Amino acid sequence: MNTDKAFRLSLFFFTISSFIIVASIVVSLIATSYPIFMRDGLSFIIRGAWNPVREDYGILPALLGTLITSAIAIAIALPLSISLAVFSSELIPGKFKIIMNNISDLMASLPSVIYGLWGLFVLAPILHQFVMMPLHTHLGFIPLFSTRPVPTNLFTAGVLLAIMIVPFASSVIREAYSAIPYYLKEAAYSLGMNRWEVIRMMLGYIKSAIFAGTFLALGRAMGETVAVAMVVGNIMRFPKSLFDMGYTISSLIASQFPNAEVYEFMVPALYGGAFMLFIMGLAINLIGFSMMRRMVVHR
Amino acid sequence: MRGRNLLVMSAVIVVAIALVIAFGLSGIFRGEADQTPAISTTPSLITTTAPAAITTRELPSGTINGAGASFLNPQMQAWAMKFYELTNGKIQVNYQSIGSGAGQAKFREGMLDFAGSDVPLKKGIYNEFKEKGGIIQFPVIIGSVAIVYNIPGAESGRLRLTGEILAKIYLGEITYWDDPAIKELNPDIALPHERIIAVHRSDGSGTTFVLTAYLSKVSEKWKEKVGADFTVQWPVDEIGSGVGAKGNEGVAAAVKQNQYSIGYVEAAYAYELGLNVAEIRNSDGRYVLPTSETMKAAAGALMARLPKADEDWSGIFPHEVMDPPGPDSYPITSFSFVILRQVYDDPVKVELLREFFKWVLTAGQESENIVKGYIPLPPEVAEIGLRGLEMLRAGG
Repeated sequence: MNTDKAFRLSLFFFTISSFIIVASIVVSLIATSYPIFMRDGLSFIIRGAWNPVREDYGILPALLGTLITSAIAIAIALPLSISLAVFSSELIPGKFKIIMNNISDLMASLPSVIYGLWGLFVLAPILHQFVMMPLHTHLGFIPLFSTRPVPTNLFTAGVLLAIMIVPFASSVIREAYSAIPYYLKEAAYSLGMNRWEVIRMMLGYIKSAIFAGTFLALGRAMGETVAVAMVVGNIMRFPKSLFDMGYTISSLIASQFPNAEVYEFMVPALYGGAFMLFIMGLAINLIGFSMMRRMVVHR
Repeated sequence: MRGRNLLVMSAVIVVAIALVIAFGLSGIFRGEADQTPAISTTPSLITTTAPAAITTRELPSGTINGAGASFLNPQMQAWAMKFYELTNGKIQVNYQSIGSGAGQAKFREGMLDFAGSDVPLKKGIYNEFKEKGGIIQFPVIIGSVAIVYNIPGAESGRLRLTGEILAKIYLGEITYWDDPAIKELNPDIALPHERIIAVHRSDGSGTTFVLTAYLSKVSEKWKEKVGADFTVQWPVDEIGSGVGAKGNEGVAAAVKQNQYSIGYVEAAYAYELGLNVAEIRNSDGRYVLPTSETMKAAAGALMARLPKADEDWSGIFPHEVMDPPGPDSYPITSFSFVILRQVYDDPVKVELLREFFKWVLTAGQESENIVKGYIPLPPEVAEIGLRGLEMLRAGG
């Protein structure tokens, strides 16, 4: 009885402290960004400008850039990570499976500056020559590909992010996949389903884990700083196509923080950007989880 | 529905706690928030054992802490290590490369003994310090900005440019390499009809400050429309020909990867990274590359115009010192500064700072103590700092 109470108390303590930590982060974001919202109000988040000389800041292009790069990353990473998860749990024998899973987990733990440098010096030129230029030359009439690309742009950042988040998403999906009770699979085979149908059935069974993995990965993609700052082009302008250069909130913070303190309003502006990123992340998660609920209920 | 309710509830709780804390303790938290920028710092603990000392009289032992400009970092680390050896490990100098702006801010908050910076203090901050006992700021090393380019067929040192052309390129007014203005200066290069991709730094940087100060000096339009700062709003971005890159290495990569591009980096990096460097026309009408001779010539030519260490440098620096006279002067030459207070509470600290920087400005400027790629000060410029150090005093 007593230990039960102590256990519950300690749980309560840890829960409350994590709430307080998150809350105090939100507080410091609000408190520090307060001056920019007081000075500029909404125009801070519905305009594009980054002109420290005139202390003029507007972050909408960076918010859009965050959404665009994350969307590209998820669109590429989701099919890749599902196939990787299925492949490693269904199709390859035990020993290789362990090796492959270890490599994938190792990839998840590489520091992002490594991805950034690799992205800048290896990925960007390759994508430029073999993907972006051909797409622009042959399909340039489609608005998505209309900008003549330079190696560093939103698309490169999206692809790099996809590579960075695949290990995260696939590890969550893989764990869920291997936790499906074996009898379900046996039952499916005994009904005469072929392998493809069984895999499809199993994936349907772990929809919620796929969602969870996706959102975990999305969180990392939206918050990634250094790697994106190296390949995104860093131009505060409304992007006209996928191949246009842009900014993300996180890369803006990584680029501008070191000298921000010599300006009166740049620190508030950067914190304001971080606050908007926080709000955006919260909104996307809320929408995502409500979508997931609906899907699971309707199944 | 339970999971969703839980999620909404937790969000509500977080926001509620946030608001409570915000209203209750905003003062306390703000104070803390102001001091917690996420800057990755690389403290420089030096652990070399010392050979023979040079100083004859008894020195106090202790530590000096500085931070700031990243351009200064390799040279400062080398000075610190050498001085540590020379004093038999008695005086340890720590320097963290956190950027000029962050260095100035931390110094202003009293968290550092000295700041390293690519530009002197702004007027407002200078006056603030003046009321509190005064400031000493002086050059410790020469820095200059090299204009680099990537035109297939044009090797390093072939391309000639003027400040006005450079300003027009970054203003987005000259957009093709075969523009008559560029062709006229470079009759022997086959300049193609290709768009000029103008690469610039995306992170705040002293290099950008120096370049934009130069462009402001040579182009009235640049001064009005853009100005000079650690970060500026580049007009060339608006026409889609600009590329932002992080750090000197990012600019170097962008210039190498984009044919028909132009960019700017610290001169030390330009040669290290094997980039093509352009000749720039100086105020005597000659075309010069950034070399140790042309940079020293520029620094010497500036000498007459430089203020004393305890004066306000922001009026003339970096804008006014750009494009100095002299047939051999490289026009985009600048200094890296060390900033000290005049009064320190601790008399030992005063002595440590005086000894270290006296050494930096004398023996430290000799070629064996200068890191490859950096250019030492002419003796008359070093004299500014030596005079300034005499004003250091203890008080409190």
